[in-house]
Amino acid sequence: MAKLRVQFESGEPERVIEFDPARAPFQHDGRPGSILDVLLAHGIHLEHACGGNCACTTCHVVVKKGSERLSESEEAEEDLLDKAPGLTPTSRLGCQAVIEDPEAEIVVWIPRYTINQISGHGG
Amino acid sequence: MAVELDGRLEAVVDHGADTRSLFLGLPVPFDFRPGQFISCRLPVGGEILNRPYSIASSPEETRRLEIVLNLVPGGPGSHYLFGLAVGAAVRFTGPWGSFVLDRAPEAEAVFIADSTGIAPIRPMLRRGVATATGRPLRLLAGAPARDRVLYRDELDALAREYPAFRWDHVPSAELADEVRRRWVDGDADRSRHFFVCGVGAIVPAIRDVLRHAGYERRAVQYEKW
Repeated sequence: MAKLRVQFESGEPERVIEFDPARAPFQHDGRPGSILDVLLAHGIHLEHACGGNCACTTCHVVVKKGSERLSESEEAEEDLLDKAPGLTPTSRLGCQAVIEDPEAEIVVWIPRYTINQISGHGG
Repeated sequence: MAVELDGRLEAVVDHGADTRSLFLGLPVPFDFRPGQFISCRLPVGGEILNRPYSIASSPEETRRLEIVLNLVPGGPGSHYLFGLAVGAAVRFTGPWGSFVLDRAPEAEAVFIADSTGIAPIRPMLRRGVATATGRPLRLLAGAPARDRVLYRDELDALAREYPAFRWDHVPSAELADEVRRRWVDGDADRSRHFFVCGVGAIVPAIRDVLRHAGYERRAVQYEKW
């Protein structure tokens, strides 16, 4: 079983999810087996304004451990992350980063806020 | 959780058998940037579906949004929206997205819109001509025929009013080849800025044609639905 440990900037208690990647998809948004897919299926809200179609950055997460065990990011994800507020070297879009390895142990950190990019200044 | 707003369906305009504009009246002014989208929260099958729709109207119109959608075979979100009657409520969040144009670039601007991909391009074009710096603005639309290009009358009017703006169309299947012919093989100028929107693989295909030809990554903006 793969293990996904979820930490929240908001201070919510950490959650630990164990799941079998081979059984993906677990619901209908994001790439099958993605962090978004796993979180939503386990009742954890992660914003995904574009429906998990790799067209926004609202599902931005920071991978604190196990980034090498995730699917590699593609150009569209990199282009979007380029514009994401609070970007870090291990930022990923939850809808695109897929956990395929059944032995993976991943730790992700979920930023507190999502930003409606009205003004271009994160307003 | 993002703040939810309730729009009210004020009008419906059919562009064809399976393409429709919905006009949503808003209780409060809504600020957005040309090119952004809203995320509709649709109650379908006992759950809430998130469905993004580009805003086809302009930011200057703050109390009414236009979205354009195709009826997708087997698509629960589009079937729900096509089934709504005038007066129905549509809950959404937004605005979202970074595929935007706040002002015309200091370079030739080329907009490439396949089918309903014209939706976010339309307010970008309006903003583009309103802030034009004298550089050309071009639109290449993907459509089976000229009379199938959405907003064609408005595009013609825009071209008459702003000589720097011109538009034409090619069949969708020829879009990538036409882009290559005009803006890769056509000359050595790599200073243009591109804004590409459409559905599916055509969008990254055009992105790759342009970036591989030497256009700067950030000069090739795109949104793939």
